[in-house]
Amino acid sequence: MAYSLCLPFSVESVPAANLGAVAADAELVAQLQQGSEAAFRTLVERYQQRVYSTAFSLLRSAEEAEDVAQEVFVEVYQTVAKFRSETALSTWLYRLATSRALQHRRRASAKKRFAYFTSLLGFQNQVLHEPPDHAHPLALLEGEQQLHLLLSHISRLPSQQQIAFTLRHEQELSYEEIAAVLDTTVSAVESLLFRARQTLRQHLPPSYRHV
Amino acid sequence: MSNPASQPGPDQEWEALLQQLRKQPRAQPRPFFYTRVQARLAAQLQPRGSWLPDWARRPAYVALLGMLIVAVSGDGAALHPTAATHYAPYQSDQTASLLPH
Repeated sequence: MAYSLCLPFSVESVPAANLGAVAADAELVAQLQQGSEAAFRTLVERYQQRVYSTAFSLLRSAEEAEDVAQEVFVEVYQTVAKFRSETALSTWLYRLATSRALQHRRRASAKKRFAYFTSLLGFQNQVLHEPPDHAHPLALLEGEQQLHLLLSHISRLPSQQQIAFTLRHEQELSYEEIAAVLDTTVSAVESLLFRARQTLRQHLPPSYRHV
Repeated sequence: MSNPASQPGPDQEWEALLQQLRKQPRAQPRPFFYTRVQARLAAQLQPRGSWLPDWARRPAYVALLGMLIVAVSGDGAALHPTAATHYAPYQSDQTASLLPH
């Protein structure tokens, strides 16, 4: 499968300031496709923070975010030969990170359900522990309760809304970039973000709601 | 007494909260992330040592498979030779009682 996109986001629509980065990425991909280990190292070092923090935003678990980030780079190494450069490298990486993170979350909730079921049947005499709460350290400080509450409600949004919201408000991607990652249109992204904000504001204290 | 006009409205509060979300420090992977990616890649690229599937290399599965084969083949009696000897006297007595005296 070749990773090509026919989307509103294209290399031509990238702001001039980012053109240098796009050209550098294209060069990096070309070197990677020739099997350069140094290029792979550069790619990991350039994108590890973005990939990891995207996974962390969606999973709120350091261990799982690490696992997802590693999987993403292993997949990049193994499939870069099929990558076509008309897609931005960052778009491809964000797409891999978000889809892998969702896969992890699905697997984790299936495991949790299974563990609960076996505990009901008494197959194992273990106490079921809730997974540790890896809330952002800042959210635990005094006066950060609202942020903590917001983060917990973001994690309950439907997947597509959660990805769109996270990419917009935590990774600060443009609507076009989010549309490219989600393989959809800009208006669909606008709609996802509108619904996400509406849901979140409804669940926050009354001072955040529309009057 | 506070002036209600000077208090931020819900939209301003919401925007401030989003700003707070944006400004939180980004989560970072632990140091030597590349080394761990390399190790994972190396582990995946290693040729598999055996043609057997993974499950077949676990003793519990092999034992279970063995028991299943024995149960299905109908040779269960072979595993209980003592049970077989208990039947022998009964059969011989029965035969003897059927013989004409």
